[in-house]
Amino acid sequence: MNAGAIELDDVSKFYGDVLGVNRVHLSIPTGVTSLVGPNGSGKTTLMNLITGLIRPTRGQVRVLGLSPAKHPDILRKIGYCTQFDAFPKGLTGYQFVYWFLRLHGFPRAEANALTRQALERTGMREAADRHVASYSKGMRQRVKLAQAIAHNPSVLVLDEPLNGLDPMARAETIALFREWAGEGRFVLVSSHILHEVDRISDQVILLSHGYVVAEGQIQGVRSEVKDHPIQVLVRCDQPGLLASRLFEQDHVVEARIHEDGKGLLIRTRDADRLYLLLNRVVLELGLEVESVAPADEDVNSVYQYLIGAEGGTA
Amino acid sequence: MQPVIELDNLEVRLGERTVLNKLTASLTGRSIGLLGPNGAGKSTLINTLLGFHAPAAGTARVIGLDIRTRARQVRGLTGYMPENDSFIASMSGVRFVRLMAELSGLPQEQALERAHEAFFYVGLGEVRYRQIGTYSLGMKQMTKLAQAIVHGPKVLFLDEPTNGLDPPARKRMIQLIQEIRDHGDLHLILSSHLLRDVEECCDQVLILKDGQIAAFCNLEEERRANRKFLELETRGANGTFTAALAKLGCQTAPGAGGRIKLVLPDGVEIRQLYELAAQQQVQIRRIHCKRDSLEDIFFKAMEPANGRL
Amino acid sequence: MAVYKKTYRRYEGPLTPERQRFLVIPRYAFEEMRRSRFLNLFFLASFIWPLICALVIYLHHNLSALKLLNLDADKLIRIDAGFFLTYLGIQSMGAFFLAAFVGPGQVSPDLANNALPLYLARPFSRSEYVLGKMLVLVTLLSLMTWVPGLLLFALQGYLEGASWMAANLRIAAGLFFGAWIWILVLSLLALALSAWVKWRPAAGGLLFGVFFVAAGFGGAINGILRTRWGNLLNISHLIGSVWVSLFEEPMRRGAGAVFFRVARGEEIPIWCCWAALLGVCLICLFLLGRKIRGVEVVR
Repeated sequence: MNAGAIELDDVSKFYGDVLGVNRVHLSIPTGVTSLVGPNGSGKTTLMNLITGLIRPTRGQVRVLGLSPAKHPDILRKIGYCTQFDAFPKGLTGYQFVYWFLRLHGFPRAEANALTRQALERTGMREAADRHVASYSKGMRQRVKLAQAIAHNPSVLVLDEPLNGLDPMARAETIALFREWAGEGRFVLVSSHILHEVDRISDQVILLSHGYVVAEGQIQGVRSEVKDHPIQVLVRCDQPGLLASRLFEQDHVVEARIHEDGKGLLIRTRDADRLYLLLNRVVLELGLEVESVAPADEDVNSVYQYLIGAEGGTA
Repeated sequence: MQPVIELDNLEVRLGERTVLNKLTASLTGRSIGLLGPNGAGKSTLINTLLGFHAPAAGTARVIGLDIRTRARQVRGLTGYMPENDSFIASMSGVRFVRLMAELSGLPQEQALERAHEAFFYVGLGEVRYRQIGTYSLGMKQMTKLAQAIVHGPKVLFLDEPTNGLDPPARKRMIQLIQEIRDHGDLHLILSSHLLRDVEECCDQVLILKDGQIAAFCNLEEERRANRKFLELETRGANGTFTAALAKLGCQTAPGAGGRIKLVLPDGVEIRQLYELAAQQQVQIRRIHCKRDSLEDIFFKAMEPANGRL
Repeated sequence: MAVYKKTYRRYEGPLTPERQRFLVIPRYAFEEMRRSRFLNLFFLASFIWPLICALVIYLHHNLSALKLLNLDADKLIRIDAGFFLTYLGIQSMGAFFLAAFVGPGQVSPDLANNALPLYLARPFSRSEYVLGKMLVLVTLLSLMTWVPGLLLFALQGYLEGASWMAANLRIAAGLFFGAWIWILVLSLLALALSAWVKWRPAAGGLLFGVFFVAAGFGGAINGILRTRWGNLLNISHLIGSVWVSLFEEPMRRGAGAVFFRVARGEEIPIWCCWAALLGVCLICLFLLGRKIRGVEVVR
């Protein structure tokens, strides 16, 4: 039993007949972990299980060694930011965070100080005394975040926290996540914006239809997906010539010329040999290379391979 | 070429706040992005152009039509996809879009035809006969897009079109927007917080801040320039490689994740980098042109102006 | 073989005339209403009373039928202003129920999910929207009240002769204008409440409340303050008074029609009634103006 992780031990959750998650086995370490998957794949269910809002139908959930549903004291160490835009009516931003802290049992002075700190950290200091109903979407999002971090939790569960934030606020919030991860906290973030997930996460969990399809660091996940050869995109002036030389090798499975005639998409089973070869061929043929990039070592591609285009519009 | 949107000292006040402060600009691109922090006035600008707010001073023109005097005609030429949920739950998708088409002036039969065409175009099949209240978020967004294009407008306003969509649906929406931009005979105004969406879909960008124009740039031109900034990812490189690069005349700097950022001076070609790599047994795994991306432009625009507190 | 690629294309065809655009709204509303079985039945049932009245009129003029039923012509209800007033009263009550059922469903669905900006982002104004919605209610309520009423009047005139008609034109005018006052007040109230209360049953209930609770309140004021002015809150009283003045109905029993009774001794000046009704209409228009907009501005 690892007291330093979030563990889900063969956990299933059903809502009547409807599937939430099925046989999930995870051990989430500290750092920024991203939860990725289509709508309805079980992300919110997973988050609700970790925060103790629901109990698993089967299996055990342990946060820092204790089950959140059975040991409510552990909730002090968990902060939760929902994806829903709902607030109690008639409160100002300050009041929302303050009373939440008082509910946790903090005395008045400390709650006041912590509220101010949290609001400062999320950039809501000036608007704190206005009613939440008059906030823009981004401001409401930041107040929710302030509420989640106010009591200095070790575990942060954030459901689409960047939704509605403008680019600057996004960058600031991402910096905040990395700061917390650096302090040894668990930051669990769910997001649809895959290129951001690439940038901010230490590890990734992919969900589809209630199952965990992949988890771990993204490069590790990619190299394990063996059904799909590595893709490399080379932009140069004579892609056809390059392709003809590459085909002489047995590890090159496919070479496709880009529609604008200036790029070559190479699929190979052995990335190392490809790069060595590429270096040689470029010099031999005197090619003018514009850019070289692995085409699928990101979350987006892994998502495509493992989850595919389902979950979109019917 | 006649500008799509002309802002002429436009000033809009809501209550006592001046939300848009003497905006003057002339937007001509096929696809224009609207960026800015929360509260900068993006939604207010769109609402004003659509006639929901009356300007306190100044005016604006959409395709040459003044919004103060020809508001109704302006609305006849525009399509609007709002950010928030906007639908009638008890109607089926087709009926709703047909209603919208008829309100825009299409006769009954043509309205029905175009409604089906719009649904076919956005990729919603049998779903169109179900009540909108039962739709998923992606379907609702597509329906919003369908009602925005059903009457064939000349200017399309899209406010956060990928809001809340999961990755496959986002991709489909972006593809659709790009298709509309490339083959449709209309102009797009895209307002979004996701810089990548704007980068992929727009060729001009208007950045607002505190009700004023912070920057206005042409992404096409930006893309063509700045080919000399590179980012290299290597395997097997060490100090000698970097030193050799410096000897070639490149300015180098360490980048994130062990990469090397460098500036190619005039006269130095990428092939010479490969020669160096071959000499030193270094694998070049990635060469990446790092041009002034929209992110840099945006953050630069957000910096407070010089001399102001 | 030809391959057709689907693309976005502009609409180059004809457009409907601008002035007729608002008619789209009633058309869609009627299409939806045709699907409700309850509504269809209720509407049909609302013609029962006019048919009964027609039968009575017919009986008056058909001696053989009378002999068959062993009735005496004099013992039957007299066809006079009171007769038509009673008719209007009963039908108007039915109209009230119809408005409570149909009214909330007009504006609430558009506001519930923020569809109004989509309406108004088109060459379509707020006034056209309200006009279209009003037309739905006005049409239905007219078909229930003055249309059969005038037909009954015509029937009576046909059977009695042109002189009767000329002498009693006041009744026709009373039917027509009396019904219209009621229709306008009722439609505006129903729409205004539907715009402010998003939940449909609540909007219907509120309509009942505005009538009965306000009437009770007015009665309470009358009792406590020993005055007649509490009747200003009683919309049915106001309508009844207006009708009495239109029909020139002599004060017998309690004047006014069935549910729109004006108790004797409690009348207030007619111009006050008109003014109060006008006030109600203006308040409703104001409420509609506040809610029917493209954007809601929260300060």
